[in-house]
Amino acid sequence: MSSRFKLFTFIFSLFCIPVLSQAQTRSIISNLANPAIGMSALFLGQAAPDLNTPGANGPSFQEAELSVISTVDPLWTLAGNFTFNASTGVAEEAYAITDSIPSIQFKVGEFRALFGKHGTLHTHAFPFIQAPIIMSNTIGEEGFKNAGMEASWMTPLPWYCELTAGGYAPIANDATGAANHPLNFNSPSHDNIPYLAHLKNLFDVDDDTTLELGASDLTGMGDDGLHHAVYGADFTLRNVPLQKSNQAGWILQSEYLKKVSYTTGVYNQETDGWYASFQNRLGQEWWAGVRVEEAFNAVADVNVNPTDTYLAGHVQRASANIAWLPSEFSEMKLEYGIARNDSNQVDNRVMLQFNYIIGFHPPHAY
Amino acid sequence: MKTGIKIILTGLMLMIAHPALADLKVATSLSDLASVAQFVGGKHVTAISLCKGYEDPHFVLAKPSLMKAIQDADVFVSVGLELDGGWLPLVIPGSRNPKIQPGAKGFIDASEGIEVLDKPVGTVSRAEGDIHPLGNPHYYTDPKNLEIVANHLAAIFGELDPDNAADYQANAKAFDERMDKSLKEWQAELKPYKGSFVVTYHENFKYFTDRFGLKVFGTVESKPGIPPSPRYLEETSAAMKNAGVKVVLYQPYYDADTAQQLAKKADGAAYEMPNEVGGVPEAKDVFSKFDVIVSALVKAFGGK
Repeated sequence: MSSRFKLFTFIFSLFCIPVLSQAQTRSIISNLANPAIGMSALFLGQAAPDLNTPGANGPSFQEAELSVISTVDPLWTLAGNFTFNASTGVAEEAYAITDSIPSIQFKVGEFRALFGKHGTLHTHAFPFIQAPIIMSNTIGEEGFKNAGMEASWMTPLPWYCELTAGGYAPIANDATGAANHPLNFNSPSHDNIPYLAHLKNLFDVDDDTTLELGASDLTGMGDDGLHHAVYGADFTLRNVPLQKSNQAGWILQSEYLKKVSYTTGVYNQETDGWYASFQNRLGQEWWAGVRVEEAFNAVADVNVNPTDTYLAGHVQRASANIAWLPSEFSEMKLEYGIARNDSNQVDNRVMLQFNYIIGFHPPHAY
Repeated sequence: MKTGIKIILTGLMLMIAHPALADLKVATSLSDLASVAQFVGGKHVTAISLCKGYEDPHFVLAKPSLMKAIQDADVFVSVGLELDGGWLPLVIPGSRNPKIQPGAKGFIDASEGIEVLDKPVGTVSRAEGDIHPLGNPHYYTDPKNLEIVANHLAAIFGELDPDNAADYQANAKAFDERMDKSLKEWQAELKPYKGSFVVTYHENFKYFTDRFGLKVFGTVESKPGIPPSPRYLEETSAAMKNAGVKVVLYQPYYDADTAQQLAKKADGAAYEMPNEVGGVPEAKDVFSKFDVIVSALVKAFGGK
């Protein structure tokens, strides 16, 4: 973490103290019907005077285990044991938000940056089992996640117009250069604060239909001396008849993302791509969807050569799925996808996904 | 300054400006609460509901435009008992309005003081469907409960706007008196049908039936939030036939075909019934809503 980022965090923390001290019980958040929850933890104190290896002497945290079990709905029960230790204990998101400042909301912690549409979704909320190919080639299959802070301002314009600015800790891209952190924001330079700018506009076309238009920019400096950036634009037209909000509706969505690197006099477009999807609610329990997408100079499962190494190239993919939701808390999704590259290699696959929720789960963003 | 720039700036000012139309801007999660708030607030209040009367209050989408609508609200009235728990946790913080955050003076839980029915006993399990763990939240179908809400709102409005506190108290008293008078008339109309059974789509009519001496025989949905299976419909219609129950009630946001299918199997009839203000065009406020409900029930029972 750069010294400037630390200073920014410290100043922001001071700013937040009065807000946190006024924390209120949130009566609109349910803790009823939560799962049975148990937790165990192991701590170790050790004296081994013959060893000089780090960690051989003194106290240490071994692991903690979180166990949950609950009925999902009349059809299912869900149970899980989650073990965390020094090497595996990674929090996907852990953040605080302010609610005491008019028109502006601050968010601080480890979280998904508010970039585009698909990049803000949790995996279990993906409309299709596979994330669009362009996601893992630009900001990450599950969006850009890192420690940082964001401020989002709801402007006083007559429609919903939100401007978000964020600053994050430097972070290295994955060794594979793909999947969760394709971006190289790891410059040790003290002035490297990867930043986000996001504009979101939502218009009520009528009582049932909304039009959303967004633009995003995520930029930082890499340890290769280049600036790295991803630009995005998104479009969503959504219709949900208010009188049948639990039975009917459709979503038409498209997004374009482009990843670049540049320095003085040099500009390199690394990859770009788009997707367009249409989801239709067939009834209270059924959804169906189709998606087409294309990515250029992109890494994808279909772009594998005989030695099993990934090659970047042009990929097209079409997907179709149908989902059954017997209740609000469980879902089964059947999906077919076919991807093809310029060498006529094909990736056909059929997937069946089961999705369960127990206890309180925050509502998903619109 | 050039004329063009002046025009643009003036336009922006007009777009941004929110003229003060009332002393208190009130938003509610349910149309009945907005109606009560308007009666209590009178000329000092403008009240809007985020959920339309023909919209299922269990499944309101957390549209950003709802956040925008309450950005400048002075008061937010939640129906409480977690009926709006599926969307308020996004909409209220998303409004970025500190005046109406839970715990602030401007956030009101309208269920406070209500005698809640159907509180689950023992372990709460979703094996019983999407149950309401705090009890039945559809208390606004009992006219007397709306009097409790009115008095609650008058007290809070008076605290937030002391200059008009006397008006709020007087309006609440007038509301109570009008509701008591109307209640007597509605009870007289339904008196011949006391003890009659109805089947409702969801467990959302219990407060009404308790108040008017009617009885709920069962529901169209097999469990809260769970659509009925063909087998359940067969069993329920057979039970209705045996008991002579012929009236099925459903709200505009439920599946009319399923309700009518059940009624037909039981040799009865299904009737669309507004549970909330605005559920049908004639239900313009809480009084006309009950007028519509009582008239529809008289027609339904009269035709049996």
